[in-house]
Amino acid sequence: MSMQHDPDLDDVLQDQELRHVADLLREARMTEAPLDDAFRSALRRQLMNQAWGMGGGGTPWWRKMFGPTGMVWATAAVGVILIGVVVVLTATNQPGPSDQVVVTSPISNQSAVRLQQPIQVTFNQPMNHPSTEAAVQITPATTVAFSWHENTLSVTPTAGDLAPNTQYQVTIGPGARTASGQSLTAPKTITFVTQPPAAPSPSPSPSARPTPVTALAGQHLLASIPEGITNVLWSPDSSTVYFVTGKGALESVPFAGGSPTVIAPDGVTSVAINPAGDQLAYIRKANIEILAIAPGTTTEVVPTPAPVLVGWTTGGVEWVSADGVYTAAPGGQGKVAPLPATGTVTAISFAPDGVHIAYTQDQSLNVMDLGTGKSTVLGLPGAHFLGWSPDGTGIMYSGAQAVVLADLGGRNTTPLPAGEPSWSSQDEVLLGSDVNLFVMRSDASGQTKLADGTFHLPDWAPNGIAFTYFRGGELFAASAPAPAPPATAPLDAATSVVNAFMKARKDNPDRANAYLDDNGRKAYSSAIGGLNLQVTGDPSFSRYYLLTAQVTGSHPDTAQFVVRIVLAHNNLDVKTFEETLTLVRTQGSQQFLVDQAAAGSVLTLGSTAEVVSVDVTTTSVKVTFDSDLKPETVTAGVIILDSKGKQIGNAPSYAKRTVTIDGLDLKSGKSFKLVVLSTVQDVSGNNIAAEYDLTFEGPAGKSGDRHKDTSPSPSPQPSPSATPSS
Amino acid sequence: MSDPLRDDERELVERAKRDPRQFGALYDRHFQQIYRFVYSRVREQTAAEDVTSEIFMKALKAMPRYQDTGRPFAAWLYQISVNAIADRYRTLRPSSPLDDFHDLSIAEPPLEEQAAHRDEIRRIWALVEALPVQQKTALVLKFQEDMKIEDIAIAMGKTPGAVKLLIHRGVSRLREEADSLRPAE
Repeated sequence: MSMQHDPDLDDVLQDQELRHVADLLREARMTEAPLDDAFRSALRRQLMNQAWGMGGGGTPWWRKMFGPTGMVWATAAVGVILIGVVVVLTATNQPGPSDQVVVTSPISNQSAVRLQQPIQVTFNQPMNHPSTEAAVQITPATTVAFSWHENTLSVTPTAGDLAPNTQYQVTIGPGARTASGQSLTAPKTITFVTQPPAAPSPSPSPSARPTPVTALAGQHLLASIPEGITNVLWSPDSSTVYFVTGKGALESVPFAGGSPTVIAPDGVTSVAINPAGDQLAYIRKANIEILAIAPGTTTEVVPTPAPVLVGWTTGGVEWVSADGVYTAAPGGQGKVAPLPATGTVTAISFAPDGVHIAYTQDQSLNVMDLGTGKSTVLGLPGAHFLGWSPDGTGIMYSGAQAVVLADLGGRNTTPLPAGEPSWSSQDEVLLGSDVNLFVMRSDASGQTKLADGTFHLPDWAPNGIAFTYFRGGELFAASAPAPAPPATAPLDAATSVVNAFMKARKDNPDRANAYLDDNGRKAYSSAIGGLNLQVTGDPSFSRYYLLTAQVTGSHPDTAQFVVRIVLAHNNLDVKTFEETLTLVRTQGSQQFLVDQAAAGSVLTLGSTAEVVSVDVTTTSVKVTFDSDLKPETVTAGVIILDSKGKQIGNAPSYAKRTVTIDGLDLKSGKSFKLVVLSTVQDVSGNNIAAEYDLTFEGPAGKSGDRHKDTSPSPSPQPSPSATPSS
Repeated sequence: MSDPLRDDERELVERAKRDPRQFGALYDRHFQQIYRFVYSRVREQTAAEDVTSEIFMKALKAMPRYQDTGRPFAAWLYQISVNAIADRYRTLRPSSPLDDFHDLSIAEPPLEEQAAHRDEIRRIWALVEALPVQQKTALVLKFQEDMKIEDIAIAMGKTPGAVKLLIHRGVSRLREEADSLRPAE
């Protein structure tokens, strides 16, 4: 056998016998250790998730796990988290799964979570309270109080509400024990994102509409048909309502009122209008008839097998038959996508974009992308389809207790109260019922009762103002109040456009072009080095929120927004950048369009406190953070400077994550600067990652009028806000 | 003279110190080695996975504080490993027979010689397990992991001289024990 010579040991093992022993030791080579490749991969994922949470350096993240004793548990470890998720998954191979502690929360993975609620964490068995409370870690750093009801732990920020526009991560660490003494096999993390601040908000808030309201205008009977009415359909210009009677007659009636006009006398089962509004397609007696409205001429398509649902795509009419989706093609018909061949499949609706359909397969609700043929299951078994968003990027279905709004991938869900919903082009949702009618934003904010009384199956007109509804089997129409009071109407209108623009960029970038004017198209033209309309890559475009919303001019109306775009990796927010959008109301259509755009640099989200909102009035500035702060660091750390660099205003006061500087006299049109120094610390003692500078103008309007105006950016780079001084 | 492999590793380490997300490359490079070492000590797959997870998590968290002493990065990982295994040993004893892990197959010599030789190796490694912890650790890192004295010193938090002493004492004790256990021929 060979003897190895190791110079390292020359002076250690000089005796021949000792070297023999050493050779023996060396000869016993290790066999390969049994290794589960899944473990290796899972551990790598955990590490990377943790690393993403650690960001690019700064204060060691793990220090933040151990904040002051007592109720305070602050953590900055974004990544600790997914450790939990993955390890819990891998732990399923371990013995005793029946004893495993299962942790759930109703807000897990939810977006637009209400601010005024505790974080509820439910365990599948009784827990030891002290160890469980001690094992709770929250990002961002938040001081909390605990309370228990049976196996549910309520974690309540002592500041009251949750921070707005914030991704929270609540981890139950492995130190948590059950009442019987068993420890968690792995940490469990609940992640969710909170909604924007309720007020002041550029979107309609409850105060924007009087409550209760009798603000519905022009309620009037449209049609009374003894046999009943189905398939209500608006013309794209909101001037005409089409419907099918119980006898199968297709009729139309002007929104303004009048006698219905019969288009087809009987046998109609499905109807759709093309985007231009000049052609109607309907299924009648197993054929599809296409009516050119103005000339009144009809052509016929004879599909095989018989159609059950008709719709329009950009290429023309399309329909669903028993075995798939078809469209007209030269010489006959072409199959666009097959329907599933198993189970009981029922086509329900074409999306407004014409490239998706909703259908049920046995108990599951599905959306199929006709381009790829791939389907996504929505909601729980038994979920019902309730409607589309007007742009076809969103869908509504029945959840366990409420209406759920989601994107077509079933993600980004927002629960709304129970009711019969309709989603408007202004991004508002009507909720009708036997007893009243509510309206709210699609993020569930601004819930406002519009009227008492019966409002069944409300259906917004494309203009987002008029709508139809049923009462006593008769079809009525009315107009909802404008989305906001006249004083803020331009801001609300522009905000709606910004929201629609950003949603389109996220979900359907081709449609985003519709919100750009000529200048805006240049700003987003990649051919001339403009901004990217479509945000791609990893980390990916996860969400956005408005940091600023301010009317900056009139004649024409002009509004400026700073939008923060959040990029996520594995559902964790990791980077962000801001775009400043200037919207101008066009003279012809009176529609706001994006006219100018500028982007800031991409910033890595640290695990330290971030500014999430700034409210500016003529007399005060309120800066809201996502973390609880050490109040003593605020006094010298948050300042307002005038255009000459002189500090103004009273000493800052701090309460509930918000720093307020009052005693200001912010004159309209003058430039001011908010500075948040990096000496500001969260409750765990971590300094904010970088100084924030925000240049802003004194708000227009009377003293006390509030404008939401925030644009934090790291110093020394100027914020992307388009203030003259920058 | 510059060692390209060391330079490469140093670059990876510096990157990971600046940006923890670069730690993946170090993980890829050292996972197998560390996992195998851990398994050799705890001899149970689930336990080895737990300890390996703990080691790399600790390493990732401690990256910003890592100081390059000129020794391989692995020495530092072994240091974390030795501590993690020591923690584990307080509550867990190896359960598998030793020859489950140490491959005792010897090529070439006649079968009867091979059998005797295997028996000798098995006895030696069984004796290693019975050594005081410090001696055992030093021997495992030296003869199983084939580490240099200076790197073992880092892993064990000792001076190279202390490691040499541990190895000398350990091997000497093995020789004495082996003598006493050697069957009569």
